Amino acid sequence: MLNRDRVGALLLLAFTLGYGALTFRIPLLPFQAQAAFTARTVPEALTLLGVGLCLILLIKPGRDPGESHAGYQWGRAAALCAVMVVYGLTVRPGGFLLSTGLFLIAGFLIMGERRWVLILSTAIPVVVLFWALMTQLLGVFIEPWPEFLRG
Amino acid sequence: MLDGILTGLQTAASPLNLLMVTAGCFVGTFIGMLPGLGPISAIALMIPITYGLDPASGLILMAGVYYGAIFGGSTSSILINAPGVAGTVATAFDGYPMARKGQAGKALAIAAYSSFSGGTIAAVFLLFAAPSLASVSLAFQSTDYFALMVLGLTAVAAFAGKGNITKALLMTVFGLMLSTVGTDETQGVQRFTFGAMDLIDGISFLLLAMATFALSEALMAVLKPKSEDDRRREMEAQKDLGSMKLTAAEVREMAPVVGRSAVLGFFTGVLPGAGATIASFLAYGTEQRLAGPEKGKEFGHGSIRGLAAPETANNAACSGSFVPLLTLGIPGSGTTAIMLGALLSYGIQPGPRLFIDNPGVFWSVIVSMYIGNVILLILNLPLIPYIARILAVPQTILIPMILFFSLIGVYFVSFNTFDIQMMVIFAVGAVLLRLLAFPMAPMLLGFILGGMMEENLRRALIINDDSWSFLWERPLTLSILLIAALILFVPMVMPHVRRLLVRRSETAGEGG
Repeated sequence: MLNRDRVGALLLLAFTLGYGALTFRIPLLPFQAQAAFTARTVPEALTLLGVGLCLILLIKPGRDPGESHAGYQWGRAAALCAVMVVYGLTVRPGGFLLSTGLFLIAGFLIMGERRWVLILSTAIPVVVLFWALMTQLLGVFIEPWPEFLRG
Repeated sequence: MLDGILTGLQTAASPLNLLMVTAGCFVGTFIGMLPGLGPISAIALMIPITYGLDPASGLILMAGVYYGAIFGGSTSSILINAPGVAGTVATAFDGYPMARKGQAGKALAIAAYSSFSGGTIAAVFLLFAAPSLASVSLAFQSTDYFALMVLGLTAVAAFAGKGNITKALLMTVFGLMLSTVGTDETQGVQRFTFGAMDLIDGISFLLLAMATFALSEALMAVLKPKSEDDRRREMEAQKDLGSMKLTAAEVREMAPVVGRSAVLGFFTGVLPGAGATIASFLAYGTEQRLAGPEKGKEFGHGSIRGLAAPETANNAACSGSFVPLLTLGIPGSGTTAIMLGALLSYGIQPGPRLFIDNPGVFWSVIVSMYIGNVILLILNLPLIPYIARILAVPQTILIPMILFFSLIGVYFVSFNTFDIQMMVIFAVGAVLLRLLAFPMAPMLLGFILGGMMEENLRRALIINDDSWSFLWERPLTLSILLIAALILFVPMVMPHVRRLLVRRSETAGEGG
């Protein structure tokens, strides 16, 4: 029967096999062919260990009490991940103040917050104070403005 | 040793470091109180700030956060029955029933006094144990270090609990695999980089820690929203905590429990992999047995002993877990693993030479533990009613803020936006593995120890002319490896042996 341990073992087995396949691509110098320890030694040992442990878990999984995932907010979590990816892409061209402000506002909205006074009175001070703390107090330069406003 | 203590006192008692330990305890309490966020996340969130500090101050800040997070975890255990940290699960057994009886203030005070006593007694032990072990470990060679790392990793898996050993081992191997990404240090060969410049230096431990703990814990909180019942409990928890005063009889009842649990907690913490969680459960179980049938019945229904024991033990174990880190350079837990990563990024190699090469760091951390406990008692206890209000901050605001601080903490170290994308990938993977009930701490420990383990193995082979015989020829290495094997296999084999013995006795009974 496919329980959580077996699903996890299958996923990690796929990862381990991919890792093992890539191990053969690690370049070795000709004189290292007979060496006891090369850049491949540990990855090869880990592949063997990983495959062995995955097989043990597949053959003899633990008792799974099972957990219902009903009511899980998959969409909300996926939306937050998407916003994080967008934040990563825009933080540089968009500048810290604008991109971070929008990231926080989007995050609050995705989480279901609709009180605009609370949203704005949290996002704006956090962004501005954090920027001021980093640049003025700790001396870390962070570009505040978007590309089109930079001189 | 007296010179060392004075050096430590001088460093730890400087105004900056006093500020650091105070800020650390305070921030740690805040973060630890948030259900789901443990000391690993709390320390990970602090690391970007510590990069601007000198190593002693940075480590003192992190140690303060560690203690604060454990204390904060106790607070949410007692007030809302939601332990922020695994080490404070046992605290909720009797702390929450006390709070339900209107004695939340008293329960918090017992937790604070027990934590203080446990931490203080353990700090004194640490003062003597760490230098002694460090002097002994000066004789260790790379072969022994390799064996010690194997011991550390297997111990973490062995203590993972029944049915979880294989999963914990698998996650350790997964962490070790991730540690091989990047340029191989001695041969300059790239491994698993896919030709990407961003992966040449490997995966940053801060990125991995933030993604797999802070980010994934926040995403798990999004996935599993709080029920109405939880929300009501949180609102009620801050209304009235009741008196924080203890009677003389209660103090007398607590005192021997605290003494025993501190010793038990410290030595459990020293063992690699055991940590605060096991220490707190061990102390709880021990005290329940020692309490006798009458008092034993009170356990689980608001017993003072049942609250004092795990609280003392978890704090004592925190101090104990610094022994292998400071003296051998081997972290015994996920939390100390993250501290090891931070120390390495300062260019400091923890281990037997730490107290010779960097006595300031070594001693100031030990002394700051005592100061941290005092601060937790005199500052946090009176402020608890106010700090508890953080439980009222709505998740709609809190979660995006945690995501922001996690992402920006990593981004401000590298200023590489690729790191943000990589964090999201790791966080999604971690959420998936958490949903499948795979533990994250062994993965982080494997990742941090991976590089050091490979380096020591390589050095050991060079010293031994490419021969693997050091594994069985050097007595110390062999002994450590045998202990690792025993720790790993005894819990696996014991149930089968027990079953066999029961069957044999049954057969003998039938025959007789």
